[in-house]
Amino acid sequence: MNIIECDDLGRSFGPTVAVRSVSFSMARGAFLGLLGRNGAGKTTLLHMLTTLVAPDHGDARIDGASVRSEPKAVRAAIGMVFQDTALDGQLTARENLTIHAALHGLRRREAAAEIARSIAWADLEEAADRPTRALSGGMRRRLELARALMHRPRLIILDEPTLGLDTQGRRDLWRRIAGLRESGLSVLMTTHNIAEAEACCEIGVIDQGRLVARGSPAELSRRHGGMGLEEAFLRLTTPGPRDTALPLHAPTDEGRIRRIAR
Amino acid sequence: MTALSRDRGPLRPRIIWIMCWRELLRYRRDRSLIFGALSRTVLWLVILGFGLGATLREIEGYSYAQYILPGVVTLNILFASLQSAMALVWDRGTGLMRAMLVSPAPMFSVALGKILGGALVAMIQGSIPIAFAPLIGLELSPSDLLPALLVMFAMGVTFTGMGVILASRTRTFEGFGGISNGVIQPLYFLSGAIFPLKGIIGGVGFLDLPETLRAELRDRGLYAIGGGWVVELPDWLRILVQCNPVSYFLDLLRFNLIGFNQLPLGLGLATTLILPVVSVLLATRAMAGIRRIEAPPARSR
Repeated sequence: MNIIECDDLGRSFGPTVAVRSVSFSMARGAFLGLLGRNGAGKTTLLHMLTTLVAPDHGDARIDGASVRSEPKAVRAAIGMVFQDTALDGQLTARENLTIHAALHGLRRREAAAEIARSIAWADLEEAADRPTRALSGGMRRRLELARALMHRPRLIILDEPTLGLDTQGRRDLWRRIAGLRESGLSVLMTTHNIAEAEACCEIGVIDQGRLVARGSPAELSRRHGGMGLEEAFLRLTTPGPRDTALPLHAPTDEGRIRRIAR
Repeated sequence: MTALSRDRGPLRPRIIWIMCWRELLRYRRDRSLIFGALSRTVLWLVILGFGLGATLREIEGYSYAQYILPGVVTLNILFASLQSAMALVWDRGTGLMRAMLVSPAPMFSVALGKILGGALVAMIQGSIPIAFAPLIGLELSPSDLLPALLVMFAMGVTFTGMGVILASRTRTFEGFGGISNGVIQPLYFLSGAIFPLKGIIGGVGFLDLPETLRAELRDRGLYAIGGGWVVELPDWLRILVQCNPVSYFLDLLRFNLIGFNQLPLGLGLATTLILPVVSVLLATRAMAGIRRIEAPPARSR
Protein backbone atom coordinates (compact mmCIF):
# COMPACT_ATOMS: atom_id res chain seq x y z
CA MET A 1 0.00 0.00 0.00
CA ASN A 2 1.27 3.47 -0.88
CA ILE A 3 1.66 6.00 1.93
CA ILE A 4 -0.21 8.63 -0.14
CA GLU A 5 -2.93 8.04 -2.71
CA CYS A 6 -4.27 11.31 -3.99
CA ASP A 7 -7.16 11.38 -6.47
CA ASP A 8 -8.46 14.53 -8.21
CA LEU A 9 -7.94 16.72 -5.15
CA GLY A 10 -9.05 20.32 -5.65
CA ARG A 11 -9.85 23.42 -3.65
CA SER A 12 -10.88 27.00 -4.41
CA PHE A 13 -11.08 30.02 -2.13
CA GLY A 14 -13.86 32.16 -3.52
CA PRO A 15 -13.00 32.88 -7.14
CA THR A 16 -9.36 31.79 -6.69
CA VAL A 17 -8.62 28.22 -7.69
CA ALA A 18 -5.76 27.21 -5.42
CA VAL A 19 -5.56 23.54 -6.42
CA ARG A 20 -7.29 22.61 -9.67
CA SER A 21 -6.93 18.84 -9.73
CA VAL A 22 -4.05 16.85 -8.32
CA SER A 23 -3.70 13.07 -8.49
CA PHE A 24 -0.57 11.21 -7.48
CA SER A 25 0.66 8.39 -5.29
CA MET A 26 3.75 8.09 -3.15
CA ALA A 27 5.36 4.82 -2.12
CA ARG A 28 6.29 4.08 1.49
CA GLY A 29 9.79 5.25 2.32
CA ALA A 30 9.87 7.62 -0.66
CA PHE A 31 11.14 11.18 -0.52
CA LEU A 32 9.02 13.36 -2.78
CA GLY A 33 9.58 17.06 -3.23
CA LEU A 34 6.81 19.28 -4.59
CA LEU A 35 8.41 22.08 -6.56
CA GLY A 36 6.47 25.15 -7.60
CA ARG A 37 6.46 28.92 -7.71
CA ASN A 38 4.92 30.94 -4.87
CA GLY A 39 1.18 30.63 -5.28
CA ALA A 40 1.33 27.42 -7.32
CA GLY A 41 -0.91 25.60 -4.82
CA LYS A 42 1.68 23.60 -2.87
CA THR A 43 0.64 24.75 0.59
CA THR A 44 -3.07 24.31 -0.10
CA LEU A 45 -2.35 20.79 -1.34
CA LEU A 46 -0.44 20.03 1.89
CA HIS A 47 -3.23 21.57 3.97
CA MET A 48 -5.72 19.24 2.31
CA LEU A 49 -3.45 16.24 2.88
CA THR A 50 -3.13 17.18 6.56
CA THR A 51 -6.92 17.75 6.98
CA LEU A 52 -6.47 21.46 7.71
CA VAL A 53 -8.53 22.36 4.65
CA ALA A 54 -11.41 20.32 3.31
CA PRO A 55 -11.13 19.56 -0.42
CA ASP A 56 -13.89 20.79 -2.71
CA HIS A 57 -13.56 17.62 -4.76
CA GLY A 58 -11.53 14.43 -4.84
CA ASP A 59 -10.04 12.54 -1.92
CA ALA A 60 -6.65 11.48 -0.61
CA ARG A 61 -5.65 8.50 1.46
CA ILE A 62 -2.77 8.77 3.89
CA ASP A 63 -1.58 5.38 5.12
CA GLY A 64 -4.93 4.02 3.93
CA ALA A 65 -7.08 6.59 5.76
CA SER A 66 -9.25 9.07 3.85
CA VAL A 67 -8.73 12.77 4.55
CA ARG A 68 -12.48 13.20 4.10
CA SER A 69 -13.91 10.40 6.19
CA GLU A 70 -11.08 9.39 8.55
CA PRO A 71 -9.32 12.67 9.40
CA LYS A 72 -8.37 11.53 12.90
CA ALA A 73 -6.48 8.50 11.59
CA VAL A 74 -4.77 10.74 9.02
CA ARG A 75 -3.64 13.16 11.74
CA ALA A 76 -2.25 10.30 13.80
CA ALA A 77 -0.24 9.07 10.82
CA ILE A 78 1.45 12.34 9.93
CA GLY A 79 4.02 14.71 11.38
CA MET A 80 3.91 18.25 10.04
CA VAL A 81 6.39 21.12 9.91
CA PHE A 82 4.71 24.34 8.82
CA GLN A 83 6.16 27.04 6.61
CA ASP A 84 6.06 29.57 9.49
CA THR A 85 6.89 28.73 13.07
CA ALA A 86 4.04 26.99 14.86
CA LEU A 87 5.39 27.11 18.41
CA ASP A 88 4.20 28.94 21.51
CA GLY A 89 6.91 31.57 21.91
CA GLN A 90 6.12 32.12 25.58
CA LEU A 91 6.66 28.48 26.44
CA THR A 92 9.98 26.68 26.55
CA ALA A 93 11.03 24.04 24.05
CA ARG A 94 10.34 21.34 26.65
CA GLU A 95 6.87 22.74 27.37
CA ASN A 96 6.00 22.88 23.68
CA LEU A 97 6.99 19.24 23.37
CA THR A 98 5.00 18.33 26.49
CA ILE A 99 1.87 19.80 24.91
CA HIS A 100 2.53 17.93 21.67
CA ALA A 101 2.94 14.66 23.57
CA ALA A 102 -0.40 15.16 25.30
CA LEU A 103 -2.14 16.08 22.04
CA HIS A 104 -0.91 12.82 20.53
CA GLY A 105 -1.97 10.77 23.53
CA LEU A 106 1.49 9.77 24.75
CA ARG A 107 1.38 8.54 28.32
CA ARG A 108 3.37 10.44 30.95
CA ARG A 109 6.36 8.09 31.16
CA GLU A 110 6.45 7.53 27.42
CA ALA A 111 6.13 11.30 26.88
CA ALA A 112 9.04 12.06 29.24
CA ALA A 113 11.29 9.63 27.35
CA GLU A 114 10.24 10.97 23.94
CA ILE A 115 10.71 14.59 25.03
CA ALA A 116 14.24 13.85 26.26
CA ARG A 117 15.01 11.98 23.04
CA SER A 118 13.61 14.80 20.89
CA ILE A 119 15.58 17.47 22.73
CA ALA A 120 18.77 15.45 22.30
CA TRP A 121 18.00 14.77 18.61
CA ALA A 122 17.53 18.49 18.00
CA ASP A 123 20.73 19.36 19.94
CA LEU A 124 18.73 21.61 22.24
CA GLU A 125 19.81 20.31 25.64
CA GLU A 126 21.10 23.70 26.77
CA ALA A 127 18.19 25.65 25.31
CA ALA A 128 15.39 23.27 26.31
CA ASP A 129 14.18 25.45 29.16
CA ARG A 130 14.34 28.77 27.36
CA PRO A 131 11.20 30.33 25.82
CA THR A 132 11.18 29.41 22.16
CA ARG A 133 10.91 33.06 21.13
CA ALA A 134 14.47 33.42 22.45
CA LEU A 135 15.79 30.63 20.21
CA SER A 136 17.42 31.21 16.83
CA GLY A 137 15.51 30.41 13.62
CA GLY A 138 17.60 27.27 13.13
CA MET A 139 16.97 26.05 16.66
CA ARG A 140 13.23 26.60 16.29
CA ARG A 141 13.19 24.67 13.03
CA ARG A 142 15.10 21.77 14.60
CA LEU A 143 12.63 21.79 17.48
CA GLU A 144 9.67 21.74 15.11
CA LEU A 145 11.16 18.86 13.17
CA ALA A 146 11.84 16.95 16.37
CA ARG A 147 8.29 17.65 17.50
CA ALA A 148 6.85 16.41 14.21
CA LEU A 149 8.78 13.14 14.69
CA MET A 150 8.00 12.70 18.38
CA HIS A 151 4.84 10.63 18.02
CA ARG A 152 6.54 8.39 15.42
CA PRO A 153 4.49 9.27 12.34
CA ARG A 154 4.54 7.16 9.18
CA LEU A 155 4.73 10.22 6.95
CA ILE A 156 6.50 13.49 7.60
CA ILE A 157 5.28 16.56 5.73
CA LEU A 158 7.54 19.60 5.47
CA ASP A 159 6.22 22.86 4.04
CA GLU A 160 9.26 24.80 2.80
CA PRO A 161 11.20 23.84 5.93
CA THR A 162 14.31 25.87 5.19
CA LEU A 163 12.49 29.15 4.56
CA GLY A 164 14.24 31.99 6.37
CA LEU A 165 17.21 29.92 7.56
CA ASP A 166 20.82 30.97 7.05
CA THR A 167 23.29 28.73 5.19
CA GLN A 168 24.39 26.85 8.30
CA GLY A 169 20.82 26.37 9.45
CA ARG A 170 19.75 25.13 6.03
CA ARG A 171 22.66 22.72 5.79
CA ASP A 172 22.03 21.38 9.28
CA LEU A 173 18.33 20.87 8.59
CA TRP A 174 19.09 19.11 5.32
CA ARG A 175 21.50 16.79 7.12
CA ARG A 176 18.69 15.84 9.47
CA ILE A 177 16.14 15.42 6.67
CA ALA A 178 18.60 13.20 4.81
CA GLY A 179 18.89 11.13 8.00
CA LEU A 180 15.12 10.66 8.02
CA ARG A 181 15.19 9.48 4.44
CA GLU A 182 17.88 6.94 5.28
CA SER A 183 15.84 5.67 8.22
CA GLY A 184 13.08 4.71 5.77
CA LEU A 185 10.54 7.34 6.82
CA SER A 186 8.30 8.65 4.05
CA VAL A 187 8.94 12.35 3.46
CA LEU A 188 6.85 14.80 1.46
CA MET A 189 8.13 18.34 1.23
CA THR A 190 7.44 21.49 -0.71
CA THR A 191 10.04 23.91 -1.94
CA HIS A 192 10.52 26.60 -4.51
CA ASN A 193 14.28 26.27 -4.26
CA ILE A 194 15.83 24.40 -7.19
CA ALA A 195 18.96 23.38 -5.25
CA GLU A 196 16.79 21.81 -2.54
CA ALA A 197 14.59 20.08 -5.09
CA GLU A 198 17.67 18.51 -6.65
CA ALA A 199 18.39 16.79 -3.35
CA CYS A 200 15.00 15.00 -3.42
CA CYS A 201 14.74 11.45 -4.81
CA GLU A 202 11.74 12.47 -6.84
CA ILE A 203 10.12 15.77 -7.75
CA GLY A 204 6.58 16.70 -8.60
CA VAL A 205 6.27 20.04 -10.37
CA ILE A 206 3.16 21.97 -9.37
CA ASP A 207 1.91 24.79 -11.55
CA GLN A 208 -1.38 26.66 -11.36
CA GLY A 209 -2.89 24.07 -9.06
CA ARG A 210 -1.89 21.06 -11.17
CA LEU A 211 0.85 18.46 -10.99
CA VAL A 212 2.44 19.04 -14.40
CA ALA A 213 5.42 16.68 -14.24
CA ARG A 214 7.00 14.07 -12.03
CA GLY A 215 10.31 12.26 -12.00
CA SER A 216 13.80 12.29 -10.56
CA PRO A 217 15.73 15.56 -10.98
CA ALA A 218 17.87 13.91 -13.69
CA GLU A 219 14.82 12.55 -15.54
CA LEU A 220 13.01 15.87 -15.51
CA SER A 221 16.11 17.63 -16.76
CA ARG A 222 16.59 15.08 -19.54
CA ARG A 223 12.95 15.11 -20.64
CA HIS A 224 12.74 18.91 -20.77
CA GLY A 225 15.74 20.23 -22.64
CA GLY A 226 18.65 18.55 -20.85
CA MET A 227 19.83 21.90 -19.49
CA GLY A 228 19.39 21.11 -15.83
CA LEU A 229 16.47 21.14 -13.43
CA GLU A 230 16.09 24.91 -13.36
CA GLU A 231 15.64 25.08 -17.12
CA ALA A 232 13.20 22.15 -17.03
CA PHE A 233 11.24 23.86 -14.28
CA LEU A 234 11.01 27.11 -16.24
CA ARG A 235 9.82 25.22 -19.33
CA LEU A 236 7.19 23.34 -17.34
CA THR A 237 5.70 26.27 -15.49
CA THR A 238 3.79 29.40 -16.45
CA PRO A 239 6.08 32.43 -16.65
CA GLY A 240 5.76 34.57 -13.53
CA PRO A 241 5.95 38.35 -13.41
CA ARG A 242 9.67 38.02 -12.78
CA ASP A 243 10.25 36.19 -16.06
CA THR A 244 8.43 38.71 -18.23
CA ALA A 245 9.11 42.05 -16.55
CA LEU A 246 11.58 44.54 -17.98
CA PRO A 247 14.89 44.94 -16.19
CA LEU A 248 14.77 47.60 -13.49
CA HIS A 249 17.11 49.92 -15.37
CA ALA A 250 15.80 49.22 -18.87
CA PRO A 251 17.03 51.81 -21.41
CA THR A 252 13.49 52.98 -22.15
CA ASP A 253 12.98 53.90 -18.53
CA GLU A 254 16.35 55.50 -18.00
CA GLY A 255 15.25 59.05 -18.56
CA ARG A 256 12.21 58.64 -16.35
CA ILE A 257 14.23 57.11 -13.52
CA ARG A 258 16.66 60.01 -13.71
CA ARG A 259 13.79 62.48 -13.55
CA ILE A 260 12.32 60.78 -10.49
CA ALA A 261 15.74 60.67 -8.83
CA ARG A 262 16.16 64.39 -9.35
CA MET B 1 -0.06 4.32 16.20
CA THR B 2 -0.49 6.77 19.07
CA ALA B 3 -2.98 6.26 21.85
CA LEU B 4 -5.30 8.98 20.59
CA SER B 5 -5.83 7.49 17.19
CA ARG B 6 -7.37 4.48 18.94
CA ASP B 7 -9.47 6.45 21.44
CA ARG B 8 -12.86 7.59 20.27
CA GLY B 9 -14.24 9.80 23.05
CA PRO B 10 -14.08 13.60 22.76
CA LEU B 11 -13.36 14.08 26.46
CA ARG B 12 -9.64 13.56 27.15
CA PRO B 13 -8.70 14.68 30.69
CA ARG B 14 -4.99 14.91 29.93
CA ILE B 15 -5.57 17.20 26.97
CA ILE B 16 -7.97 19.35 29.00
CA TRP B 17 -5.36 19.61 31.73
CA ILE B 18 -2.47 20.38 29.37
CA MET B 19 -4.42 23.18 27.67
CA CYS B 20 -5.35 24.59 31.06
CA TRP B 21 -1.71 24.38 32.17
CA ARG B 22 -0.64 26.21 29.04
CA GLU B 23 -2.99 29.11 29.82
CA LEU B 24 -1.68 29.34 33.38
CA LEU B 25 1.95 29.24 32.22
CA ARG B 26 1.34 31.96 29.68
CA TYR B 27 -0.35 34.07 32.34
CA ARG B 28 2.52 33.60 34.77
CA ARG B 29 5.01 34.77 32.13
CA ASP B 30 3.03 37.72 30.83
CA ARG B 31 3.37 40.40 33.51
CA SER B 32 1.44 42.92 31.43
CA LEU B 33 -1.79 41.09 32.29
CA ILE B 34 -1.20 41.48 36.02
CA PHE B 35 -0.16 45.08 35.48
CA GLY B 36 -3.38 45.71 33.52
CA ALA B 37 -5.51 44.24 36.32
CA LEU B 38 -3.68 46.28 38.96
CA SER B 39 -3.96 49.44 36.94
CA ARG B 40 -7.72 48.95 36.37
CA THR B 41 -8.16 48.28 40.08
CA VAL B 42 -6.31 51.42 41.10
CA LEU B 43 -8.08 53.52 38.49
CA TRP B 44 -11.61 52.34 39.19
CA LEU B 45 -11.60 51.29 42.81
CA VAL B 46 -9.16 53.72 44.37
CA ILE B 47 -9.28 56.81 42.17
CA LEU B 48 -12.88 56.67 40.95
CA GLY B 49 -14.13 54.94 44.10
CA PHE B 50 -12.72 57.52 46.48
CA GLY B 51 -13.00 60.44 44.06
CA LEU B 52 -16.65 59.97 43.10
CA GLY B 53 -17.32 58.52 46.52
CA ALA B 54 -16.45 61.91 48.06
CA THR B 55 -19.43 63.38 46.19
CA LEU B 56 -21.89 60.50 46.36
CA ARG B 57 -20.98 59.56 49.94
CA GLU B 58 -23.20 56.47 50.13
CA ILE B 59 -25.18 54.20 47.86
CA GLU B 60 -27.83 52.34 49.81
CA GLY B 61 -25.65 52.48 52.86
CA TYR B 62 -22.42 51.37 51.21
CA SER B 63 -19.50 53.58 50.29
CA TYR B 64 -19.14 54.10 46.55
CA ALA B 65 -15.85 52.16 46.54
CA GLN B 66 -17.58 49.24 48.29
CA TYR B 67 -20.46 49.44 45.83
CA ILE B 68 -18.24 49.29 42.74
CA LEU B 69 -15.83 46.61 44.05
CA PRO B 70 -17.81 43.73 42.46
CA GLY B 71 -17.95 45.78 39.25
CA VAL B 72 -14.18 46.17 39.18
CA VAL B 73 -13.84 42.42 39.77
CA THR B 74 -16.21 41.87 36.85
CA LEU B 75 -14.31 44.28 34.62
CA ASN B 76 -11.07 42.38 35.26
CA ILE B 77 -12.79 39.09 34.51
CA LEU B 78 -14.25 40.41 31.26
CA PHE B 79 -10.86 41.74 30.13
CA ALA B 80 -8.96 38.58 31.10
CA SER B 81 -11.52 36.27 29.48
CA LEU B 82 -11.52 38.11 26.19
CA GLN B 83 -7.74 38.52 26.21
CA SER B 84 -7.34 34.79 26.66
CA ALA B 85 -9.72 34.18 23.78
CA MET B 86 -7.93 36.81 21.69
CA ALA B 87 -4.74 34.74 21.90
CA LEU B 88 -6.60 32.22 19.76
CA VAL B 89 -6.59 34.65 16.82
CA TRP B 90 -2.80 34.89 17.02
CA ASP B 91 -2.50 31.18 17.72
CA ARG B 92 -4.38 30.31 14.56
CA GLY B 93 -2.27 32.53 12.38
CA THR B 94 1.24 32.00 13.63
CA GLY B 95 1.13 29.98 16.81
CA LEU B 96 0.64 26.56 18.25
CA MET B 97 -2.97 26.17 17.16
CA ARG B 98 -2.00 24.90 13.71
CA ALA B 99 0.02 22.10 15.33
CA MET B 100 -3.05 21.27 17.41
CA LEU B 101 -5.26 21.22 14.34
CA VAL B 102 -3.09 18.58 12.65
CA SER B 103 -2.98 16.43 15.78
CA PRO B 104 -5.58 13.74 16.46
CA ALA B 105 -6.63 15.49 19.69
CA PRO B 106 -10.41 16.05 19.87
CA MET B 107 -11.14 19.76 19.59
CA PHE B 108 -13.77 19.44 22.30
CA SER B 109 -11.05 18.69 24.85
CA VAL B 110 -8.66 21.28 23.40
CA ALA B 111 -11.37 23.95 23.57
CA LEU B 112 -12.58 22.90 27.01
CA GLY B 113 -9.04 23.05 28.39
CA LYS B 114 -8.49 26.46 26.86
CA ILE B 115 -11.77 27.79 28.26
CA LEU B 116 -11.17 26.39 31.74
CA GLY B 117 -7.61 27.74 31.73
CA GLY B 118 -8.83 31.13 30.54
CA ALA B 119 -11.51 31.10 33.24
CA LEU B 120 -8.94 30.30 35.95
CA VAL B 121 -6.77 33.18 34.76
CA ALA B 122 -9.84 35.44 34.72
CA MET B 123 -10.69 34.38 38.27
CA ILE B 124 -7.15 35.18 39.44
CA GLN B 125 -7.30 38.55 37.67
CA GLY B 126 -10.69 39.17 39.25
CA SER B 127 -9.25 38.42 42.69
CA ILE B 128 -6.80 41.32 42.48
CA PRO B 129 -9.40 44.01 43.39
CA ILE B 130 -10.60 41.78 46.22
CA ALA B 131 -7.14 42.08 47.78
CA PHE B 132 -7.91 45.81 48.11
CA ALA B 133 -11.07 45.12 50.15
CA PRO B 134 -9.56 46.09 53.55
CA LEU B 135 -8.53 49.45 52.06
CA ILE B 136 -12.18 50.28 51.41
CA GLY B 137 -13.41 49.04 54.75
CA LEU B 138 -14.53 45.54 53.79
CA GLU B 139 -13.57 42.50 55.78
CA LEU B 140 -14.31 39.34 53.85
CA SER B 141 -14.48 35.94 55.51
CA PRO B 142 -13.74 32.65 53.70
CA SER B 143 -17.49 31.99 53.68
CA ASP B 144 -17.97 35.22 51.68
CA LEU B 145 -15.03 34.50 49.41
CA LEU B 146 -15.68 30.91 48.40
CA PRO B 147 -19.09 31.48 46.75
CA ALA B 148 -17.74 34.71 45.25
CA LEU B 149 -14.87 32.78 43.65
CA LEU B 150 -17.31 30.24 42.23
CA VAL B 151 -19.40 33.01 40.65
CA MET B 152 -16.20 34.58 39.27
CA PHE B 153 -15.11 31.26 37.78
CA ALA B 154 -18.55 30.76 36.18
CA MET B 155 -18.32 34.27 34.74
CA GLY B 156 -14.82 33.49 33.44
CA VAL B 157 -16.02 30.30 31.75
CA THR B 158 -18.96 32.12 30.17
CA PHE B 159 -16.96 35.00 28.78
CA THR B 160 -13.88 33.04 27.74
CA GLY B 161 -16.30 30.79 25.85
CA MET B 162 -17.96 33.81 24.24
CA GLY B 163 -14.54 35.16 23.32
CA VAL B 164 -13.57 31.82 21.78
CA ILE B 165 -16.72 31.91 19.65
CA LEU B 166 -15.80 35.39 18.40
CA ALA B 167 -12.12 34.49 17.94
CA SER B 168 -13.00 31.35 15.98
CA ARG B 169 -14.72 33.53 13.40
CA THR B 170 -12.17 36.34 13.36
CA ARG B 171 -8.92 36.23 11.42
CA THR B 172 -7.23 39.48 12.47
CA PHE B 173 -6.32 41.15 15.72
CA GLU B 174 -7.78 44.40 14.47
CA GLY B 175 -11.13 42.73 13.88
CA PHE B 176 -11.13 41.11 17.28
CA GLY B 177 -10.03 44.33 19.01
CA GLY B 178 -13.06 46.12 17.59
CA ILE B 179 -15.41 43.34 18.60
CA SER B 180 -14.04 43.03 22.12
CA ASN B 181 -14.27 46.77 22.73
CA GLY B 182 -17.77 46.72 21.36
CA VAL B 183 -18.61 43.87 23.72
CA ILE B 184 -16.76 44.60 26.98
CA GLN B 185 -17.79 48.21 27.39
CA PRO B 186 -21.55 47.82 26.80
CA LEU B 187 -21.65 44.68 28.95
CA TYR B 188 -19.83 46.48 31.75
CA PHE B 189 -21.68 49.80 31.67
CA LEU B 190 -25.07 48.09 31.36
CA SER B 191 -24.56 45.73 34.28
CA GLY B 192 -25.25 48.03 37.20
CA ALA B 193 -21.52 47.93 37.96
CA ILE B 194 -21.17 51.65 38.53
CA PHE B 195 -24.74 52.77 39.25
CA PRO B 196 -27.65 51.04 40.97
CA LEU B 197 -30.96 50.23 39.29
CA LYS B 198 -32.63 52.30 41.94
CA GLY B 199 -31.74 53.36 45.45
CA ILE B 200 -30.85 56.13 47.83
CA ILE B 201 -27.67 57.91 46.88
CA GLY B 202 -25.87 60.51 48.90
CA GLY B 203 -27.24 59.48 52.29
CA VAL B 204 -25.28 61.01 55.14
CA GLY B 205 -24.35 59.33 58.36
CA PHE B 206 -25.18 55.68 57.75
CA LEU B 207 -21.55 54.75 57.19
CA ASP B 208 -20.59 56.53 60.42
CA LEU B 209 -22.68 54.05 62.44
CA PRO B 210 -20.94 51.02 63.98
CA GLU B 211 -20.91 47.99 61.66
CA THR B 212 -23.10 45.90 63.99
CA LEU B 213 -25.78 48.58 63.97
CA ARG B 214 -25.55 48.96 60.19
CA ALA B 215 -25.96 45.21 59.78
CA GLU B 216 -29.01 45.28 62.02
CA LEU B 217 -30.55 48.18 60.10
CA ARG B 218 -29.89 46.44 56.76
CA ASP B 219 -31.65 43.34 58.09
CA ARG B 220 -34.66 45.59 58.69
CA GLY B 221 -34.45 46.99 55.16
CA LEU B 222 -32.98 50.35 56.14
CA TYR B 223 -30.05 51.41 54.00
CA ALA B 224 -29.72 55.14 54.58
CA ILE B 225 -30.27 57.86 57.12
CA GLY B 226 -29.99 61.59 56.86
CA GLY B 227 -30.14 63.33 53.48
CA GLY B 228 -29.81 61.82 50.00
CA TRP B 229 -31.89 61.42 46.95
CA VAL B 230 -33.73 58.51 45.47
CA VAL B 231 -32.62 57.54 41.99
CA GLU B 232 -34.31 55.18 39.58
CA LEU B 233 -33.06 54.35 36.09
CA PRO B 234 -35.33 55.18 33.16
CA ASP B 235 -37.28 52.16 31.94
CA TRP B 236 -35.29 51.68 28.72
CA LEU B 237 -32.00 51.62 30.64
CA ARG B 238 -33.41 49.33 33.31
CA ILE B 239 -34.59 46.92 30.60
CA LEU B 240 -31.13 46.91 29.00
CA VAL B 241 -29.52 46.19 32.37
CA GLN B 242 -31.99 43.40 33.01
CA CYS B 243 -31.31 41.85 29.59
CA ASN B 244 -27.57 41.83 30.19
CA PRO B 245 -26.33 38.49 31.57
CA VAL B 246 -23.41 40.23 33.30
CA SER B 247 -25.93 42.05 35.52
CA TYR B 248 -26.99 38.74 37.09
CA PHE B 249 -23.44 37.48 37.64
CA LEU B 250 -22.51 40.84 39.11
CA ASP B 251 -25.56 41.03 41.33
CA LEU B 252 -24.86 37.59 42.76
CA LEU B 253 -21.22 38.52 43.22
CA ARG B 254 -22.17 41.74 44.98
CA PHE B 255 -24.50 39.78 47.25
CA ASN B 256 -21.64 37.43 48.15
CA LEU B 257 -19.11 40.20 48.70
CA ILE B 258 -21.10 42.96 50.41
CA GLY B 259 -24.51 41.40 51.03
CA PHE B 260 -26.42 43.68 48.65
CA ASN B 261 -28.45 42.74 45.59
CA GLN B 262 -31.01 44.36 43.33
CA LEU B 263 -32.09 41.54 41.04
CA PRO B 264 -33.75 38.23 41.95
CA LEU B 265 -31.04 35.96 43.39
CA GLY B 266 -32.70 32.94 41.79
CA LEU B 267 -32.07 34.43 38.35
CA GLY B 268 -28.46 35.13 39.30
CA LEU B 269 -28.02 31.53 40.41
CA ALA B 270 -29.66 30.20 37.24
CA THR B 271 -27.41 32.41 35.10
CA THR B 272 -24.34 31.18 36.98
CA LEU B 273 -25.30 27.55 36.48
CA ILE B 274 -26.66 27.59 32.94
CA LEU B 275 -24.71 30.16 30.95
CA PRO B 276 -21.25 28.59 31.46
CA VAL B 277 -22.54 25.26 30.14
CA VAL B 278 -24.18 26.87 27.11
CA SER B 279 -21.08 28.93 26.43
CA VAL B 280 -18.76 25.90 26.62
CA LEU B 281 -20.95 23.90 24.26
CA LEU B 282 -21.13 26.69 21.68
CA ALA B 283 -17.44 27.55 22.01
CA THR B 284 -16.23 23.97 21.60
CA ARG B 285 -18.43 23.69 18.53
CA ALA B 286 -17.03 26.93 17.12
CA MET B 287 -13.45 25.83 17.76
CA ALA B 288 -14.06 22.45 16.18
CA GLY B 289 -15.23 24.37 13.12
CA ILE B 290 -11.79 25.98 12.77
CA ARG B 291 -10.48 22.74 11.32
CA ARG B 292 -12.88 23.03 8.43
CA ILE B 293 -12.69 26.73 7.70
CA GLU B 294 -8.93 27.10 8.00
CA ALA B 295 -7.31 28.49 4.87
CA PRO B 296 -3.63 28.92 4.16
CA PRO B 297 -2.18 32.42 4.17
CA ALA B 298 -2.84 34.13 0.84
CA ARG B 299 0.81 34.54 -0.12
CA SER B 300 1.54 30.83 0.00
CA ARG B 301 -1.53 29.55 -1.77
